[in-house]
Amino acid sequence: MPFDLTFLWQTFVSLLSGIPLALELAALSVATGSLLAFGLALMRVSRRWWLDLPARFYIFAFRGTPLLVQIYIIYYGLSQFPALRHSFLWPVFREAYWCALAALALNTAAYSAEIMRGGLLSVPAGQIEAARACGMARILLFRRIIVPQATRQMLPGYSNEVILMVKSTSLASTITIMEITGIAAKLISESYRPVEVFISAGAIYLSLNFIVARLFALLEWSLWPERRKNRLQSNIVEKKGELHA
Amino acid sequence: MPNVVRAAAVSLSGIRKNFGPLEVLHGVSLTAHEGDVVSILGSSGSGKSTLLRCVNMLEVPNSGNVSIMGEEISLDQRPGRAPRPADPKQVNKLRERAAMVFQSFNLWSHLTILQNVMEAPLHVQGRHRNECRAEAEALLERVGIAAKRNSYPSELSGGQQQRAAIARALAMRPDVLLFDEPTSALDPELVGEVLKVIRDLAAEGRTMLIVTHEMAFARDVSTRTVFLHQGLITEEGPTSEMFANPRSDRFRQFLRRDGASSH
Amino acid sequence: MDYFQLMGFSADGWGHDMLRATGMTVAVAFIGFAVGLIFGCLGAAASFSNAHALRLAAAAYTTALRGIPDLLVIYLFYFGSSSVISGIAALFGSQGFVGAPAFLTGALAIGVVSGANQTQVLRGAVLALNKGEVEAGRAYGMGPLLLFRRIILPQAARYALPGVGNVWQLVMKESALISVIGLVELMRQAQVGAGSTRQPFSFYLTAAGLYLLITFASGQAFRLAEARTMRGLRRGI
Repeated sequence: MPFDLTFLWQTFVSLLSGIPLALELAALSVATGSLLAFGLALMRVSRRWWLDLPARFYIFAFRGTPLLVQIYIIYYGLSQFPALRHSFLWPVFREAYWCALAALALNTAAYSAEIMRGGLLSVPAGQIEAARACGMARILLFRRIIVPQATRQMLPGYSNEVILMVKSTSLASTITIMEITGIAAKLISESYRPVEVFISAGAIYLSLNFIVARLFALLEWSLWPERRKNRLQSNIVEKKGELHA
Repeated sequence: MPNVVRAAAVSLSGIRKNFGPLEVLHGVSLTAHEGDVVSILGSSGSGKSTLLRCVNMLEVPNSGNVSIMGEEISLDQRPGRAPRPADPKQVNKLRERAAMVFQSFNLWSHLTILQNVMEAPLHVQGRHRNECRAEAEALLERVGIAAKRNSYPSELSGGQQQRAAIARALAMRPDVLLFDEPTSALDPELVGEVLKVIRDLAAEGRTMLIVTHEMAFARDVSTRTVFLHQGLITEEGPTSEMFANPRSDRFRQFLRRDGASSH
Repeated sequence: MDYFQLMGFSADGWGHDMLRATGMTVAVAFIGFAVGLIFGCLGAAASFSNAHALRLAAAAYTTALRGIPDLLVIYLFYFGSSSVISGIAALFGSQGFVGAPAFLTGALAIGVVSGANQTQVLRGAVLALNKGEVEAGRAYGMGPLLLFRRIILPQAARYALPGVGNVWQLVMKESALISVIGLVELMRQAQVGAGSTRQPFSFYLTAAGLYLLITFASGQAFRLAEARTMRGLRRGI
């Protein structure tokens, strides 16, 4: 089968229709997942074992198993229980869409919680002490000193996690959801032209992830005013340092 | 050793070196004979470390020649490209004869102190393991850290690390020792133990080139002194004469400023 | 039938099947990991090359495979090689679709994907080297090969170990995706069991437990290896 540009274009156009669903899944799961993650991160840094331990276990379980298993447990597994099948929740858990969303959100929460914890712990103890010395109460200290610094510290890691989530939405296709990869799989099995389909779908995912990465870079730029100023200066100092070596 | 014509151990002639558009050495010539202890002085940015690093080709001069023990290093200095040695094998051979001690020690962190000292004799020079070990242990004894032979560099103080690095250099049985600010990274109270080791080596009549900030030490130990200013040798001569009668204003100023703060 | 009978090792229990499938998961992940290590070494070496084209190729490789879903790559490898094999089979008179061996294409696919991660890890390890120690090697007359063997490799291996451990865990979890092309590893076996007993929760939860066991055990093994190799590394880093 020769490489076919017309087919490539047609494939590309049909795959475009999967973008809204993929982005919707990614955005909603990242949003809910981040709320959950924030709670988990707070539990992890609480220094109370009865809060820390459950959070630890949650993170361990969700990071130690494949996302695919998590999706299958929620979508196929839960139907094993008649009680759930007859409850008011069933209309939600019967839908592949909500199951995929739930699994993605629960999964990203585990990874994001560790990223957030790292950010929270990165705030230097001296600065916290200084805030205490100024008479800041716990909540104020947390809101004014810790959270702003932790946020920008964790941005690169979190940007990675969001990109991973965009990729992970492809797994929703395994439970019948026709997002980009779902459409791609259907096109491959109809046409037996995996290369063209892969190139089109790959290009779409790469563009989406490129945009995500740029957005985060922009956010980082806006949250680090002192870095913007120092970049030029540090370049100059580096050059001089080389000469003196 | 007066009145004896001694061979040139290190000879640099017309060394120019630039980093990008900036030239830091503007044609420096310098000869160290066997048994000379040459101090290279100068304020920071004068190019003294760069000059020393040209001896063992850690920096390759853009023009000029380097000879070690009478053997000239053949260089590829065609204009319009980065200068490089014409024959890397020759450079490695000559590096065995001119061992360097670094400002930041640069001991290999994955090897114990003993392994650090044995590494080059064993793997670069291909000498026998038992011989290397015996010699390494003797050298560690000599610099006073035999007890630390099985420790890793991170477990030692700066002074101990630098003494280990000196033992590592000696283990190569080099003809010339190059010291690149050997005490600048040390806490003040640790400087003495390292200077003592270097002083003992000088007393043995070893050929050494020392870039240093320790003025009293330079005055005390070195036979000759070279003062570098802005990439040029401003003044050089026998150490005692230079310190007693500085000829140039630059060196006089330098002595006045640094002399007060030296050990 | 209660859960323990279901997953038991009696004649009508699924214990044996699940264990065998676990072995298959470890096997395919291991081969994929090994393939990834090779690709990672090549990628990292290319990224430090003097040749502009090689550096570009390495950057394109890591960017592409870290941005495209693994599932798509698995489809590409499976259906791509299947269509080649079907084409060859057609020459010998066979008609229709001939599937490529799922183990091989699956392992290769996750290998190529993890190679991109591995490239980053190994690259980072080389960049983490102390430049002074490398320079000391050169100053002591080491040629490039000796320098690599005696100084760069042992130190970089140490810096790379945590990252390499992470990549192994990733490969392990990605191997579940190979179930979509029919390899009977843990995930696929759980699907089969769930389908024939109508107890999907029991099977998928068991599969999850087994995955957790593997990731936990291998995580401990890597931690142990790290502790052994961290000798001499600066304290407090």
